Amino acid sequence: MLRPRWRKVLRDVWLHKARTLLVVLAIAMGIIGAGSVLNTWAMVRRVTREGFMATNPASATIRTDAIDSALLARVEAVPGVAIAEARRTVIGSIMAQGGWRTAVLFSLADFTAVEIGRLKPESGAWPPADGAITIERSSVEFAAIGVGDAAAVQIGTAPPVALAVSGIARDAGLAPGWMEHIVYGFVTPATLTRLGAPATFDQLQIVVEDRSLDREAVRRIAFDVKAVVEATGRRVADVDVPEPGRHIHAGQIDSLLYTQGAFGVLALLLSGFLVINLITAMLAGQVREIGVMKTIGAQSGQLARMYLGLALVLGLVASLIALPTAAVIGRWYAQFTADLLNFDTAGFGIPRWAFGVELAAGALLPLVAASIPVVRGCRISVSDALRDVGIDGGGVAPAWVQRVSGLTRPLLLSLRNAFRRRQRMALTLITLATAGAVYLGALNLRASIQRSVGVQFDVIRYDIAIRFSAPHAADSIEAVVAGVTGVAQVEGWSARRAALAMPDGTLGNTFPISAAPFQSVMSGYSLQTGRLIAAADSNAIVVNRRLVEEEPSLAVGAAVSLVINGRRTEWTVVGVVESGVSPTAHTTREILARIAGSNAIDRAVVSATERTPAGQGELSRRLRDELETRGFAVAGSQLIAESRRSIEDHLLMVAGFLMTMSQLMIVVGGLGLASTMSLAVLERTREIGVLRAIGARRGAILTMVQVEGLVIAIASWALAIPLSLPMSVVLGKAFGRIMMPVPVTYVPEPGGVGRWLVVVIGMSVVACAWPAFRAMRITTAAALSYSN
Amino acid sequence: MTTNPLITLRDVTRIFPGAGGGFTALADINLTIDRGDFAVIVGQSGSGKSTLLGLLAGIDRPTRGEVLVGDTAVHSLPERSMAAWRGRTVGIVFQFFQLLPTLTAVENVMLPMDFCNAWPSRERHGRALALLDRLGVADQADKLPSTLSGGQQQRVAIARALANEPAVLLADEPTGNLDSKTSASILELFAQLAESGQTVVMVTHERGAMQFASRAITLADGRVIADEVGAHA
Repeated sequence: MLRPRWRKVLRDVWLHKARTLLVVLAIAMGIIGAGSVLNTWAMVRRVTREGFMATNPASATIRTDAIDSALLARVEAVPGVAIAEARRTVIGSIMAQGGWRTAVLFSLADFTAVEIGRLKPESGAWPPADGAITIERSSVEFAAIGVGDAAAVQIGTAPPVALAVSGIARDAGLAPGWMEHIVYGFVTPATLTRLGAPATFDQLQIVVEDRSLDREAVRRIAFDVKAVVEATGRRVADVDVPEPGRHIHAGQIDSLLYTQGAFGVLALLLSGFLVINLITAMLAGQVREIGVMKTIGAQSGQLARMYLGLALVLGLVASLIALPTAAVIGRWYAQFTADLLNFDTAGFGIPRWAFGVELAAGALLPLVAASIPVVRGCRISVSDALRDVGIDGGGVAPAWVQRVSGLTRPLLLSLRNAFRRRQRMALTLITLATAGAVYLGALNLRASIQRSVGVQFDVIRYDIAIRFSAPHAADSIEAVVAGVTGVAQVEGWSARRAALAMPDGTLGNTFPISAAPFQSVMSGYSLQTGRLIAAADSNAIVVNRRLVEEEPSLAVGAAVSLVINGRRTEWTVVGVVESGVSPTAHTTREILARIAGSNAIDRAVVSATERTPAGQGELSRRLRDELETRGFAVAGSQLIAESRRSIEDHLLMVAGFLMTMSQLMIVVGGLGLASTMSLAVLERTREIGVLRAIGARRGAILTMVQVEGLVIAIASWALAIPLSLPMSVVLGKAFGRIMMPVPVTYVPEPGGVGRWLVVVIGMSVVACAWPAFRAMRITTAAALSYSN
Repeated sequence: MTTNPLITLRDVTRIFPGAGGGFTALADINLTIDRGDFAVIVGQSGSGKSTLLGLLAGIDRPTRGEVLVGDTAVHSLPERSMAAWRGRTVGIVFQFFQLLPTLTAVENVMLPMDFCNAWPSRERHGRALALLDRLGVADQADKLPSTLSGGQQQRVAIARALANEPAVLLADEPTGNLDSKTSASILELFAQLAESGQTVVMVTHERGAMQFASRAITLADGRVIADEVGAHA
């Protein structure tokens, strides 16, 4: 049988159903916000870590040629090596969405027996048969190719071959195809031969025995393997050692989820403010009852336990509502995030501990929030409690508000009323202003992403890039391209892959050196430190910020040795620039020609007279046809506008999640305002009755309540603007680190402040509708006989 | 005058702080009340009678002097022990009944037993019903206070005050909100309780109440100006 004290608690809750519902909703909103993010974080972390490790990623990749089983056996005998496998990677072109796209084809001896970088078939046939291609799933949307289609694939100067798309598979170790603008495919060695490419394997992948080794230790083993390979007379082009056990996007995933986690925690805290407001108001109405209970033997601790128990129950009820909702949202968003990063969430669930944390937060948040007013309320002395006159109308507005003049009397009344319960107003204001700041922050982030993507692409002053299968003389290519209708300008660029020679004799990971003509009009970097390359320079390079992050020894002023095509060359780093998401170095075509000993170019960049994507797509096709006709085999082409749109779309989807979180906070803020105004109306029942008695019409009462709500809403609007500034900058920086490896430039969203004003006014009108309606219906007789 | 004192006040003074040295509500009160007494404290508004009741209940503390209830020095009882002591030793009846509106009559009576763990859980409901029956309102047991008449509410409040078998029943103007007929029945009830051994101290400004009491103490300006034997002595 339930004890009378708990029956009292439950009946009080039932008596104030609307208020109770608000508290439950507020807590539920907070838990849904924070829980969704936590669930996403927990699931994506699990998916990326476990999913990535389940593929058994390569500890190192050594590029050489003609790898056979004898070499693999020798490599597996190297101390520290657990497994060695061979594959070939061929870069070609694939006809997709009406144009030629870059294709990266992977070929293995037996796809079903692959141990390193395991693949997961998703649909269609597996493994690919001879004459067929399996597309990597992250490229499917970008390529608009499906199972059953036929795709023309071309390698080098060989004629295109139509391959049947027989299946879709996932390689979680690859950066997403949509992001890289690459169509990844898996083909057999026989298919490679049919395409005109060598069928031998050129990549030796190893997995070390001890998975706990750090990058340097793995590098040492990789160089032992390199020595074994070179001892067989083969040449090693480069050795790539990724950070062990870490997916290429691991850092970005963590940053993304931590940023979103901060939003979730904020939503939870805001709902805590609402709980403080509502429990304070509830206790204010029960002071005399507390006094009575103390006179019949209740101790402060017993009373505190009653009200805290109530808060706990409300929290648990809210958790029951919120947990399933947060699980659904979290699972959906985890799927979305994992998809962005080329992971599959199938077979992974939200860990149980995440539900435990959410339940604990749901139970403890109202408990902690309520503890402040409860302890204060239950400590009241019996004499003070018994003298209490019940809920009163509250204090008076501060002097500066009292001095405001020039408004009509009802407006002045509304203004002063808004400031009567200053602590409650402050909490409501903070809740709404924080929600507003997050909303503005999300709007600004959106604008900043667009601007930052712009900054990334502003350095690309061409519309189309055409990559050739083999190097050609610059002037002959430029002449052919310039002759095609629709071409405004053309430049021939060259590129080489280079690796930093380490002091210990090993090589760092390879990176491209891109070389545009000196005084190129189509390349433009944003200089960060140092200087750009001058005419008098003979061996100068500038490196982008991403490359310096990976190889800190490439600082401005450093004299470095780079190995290009197996030759050691000497360079001086003269500057650091921002130039895109991949680690890249830049020099001039002239310097590279002198150092590398060849002035051939391997790509042409074109600016088009046509500005529409469709027109540029058509020009790309014409260019390709013309070049092929003239005997220049095209390996691939890229439309810059299309790349930009694709990246922007995906990044904005992530920003959209933050916007949703801010909207959730606005709802919590709206609930806060609704509860504040409901309490204000309840407390001023007598006052309203008096106003009605002295002639105030219903409309006037309704307006008075609505205007009071608007005063708070507009104050929160104003407060949100300065709050949003640091939030936008922090968000921008975090997001830049997450998604674009460059700082996101803070750009305020034009009209954002105006939009927030419209939102906050609309929210205020809705939030105050019910309190205003109730106030309007208070009759003089009922109000004057009112007792809390 | 007393033979078996339950309540003893020695040189009790209560000064409420304020401008000009504060307001002296009680000055040098020396008083004893015997077990089984029905003592009525009468006086004009501001005479100090409610302050005196507050001191006896441990709701307030004297500025000077000692308040003893049984063996307990109420004036020096730590705050953390006060509620438990009050719940077990003192039953309080208010002018406005002060029943908890969301609990039924029987639940209101059970509440002190619940807070003080004075009776085993399974016995509380039966005991509460027995008390309501004793006070003539057993048929109202499952009703909420708002559905009861003033007299019925006050009887429920008295039953609640008696729930833990307190040594002393304190009543603050218990008839102030009742009609004369109902008032008389409540006063009669207090007299019966006192006859059965319950010590009752009642504050009232109605001198007519003295005819039901065994003792009448009159206060004026914070001092005892008369201490008489009542009609029921």
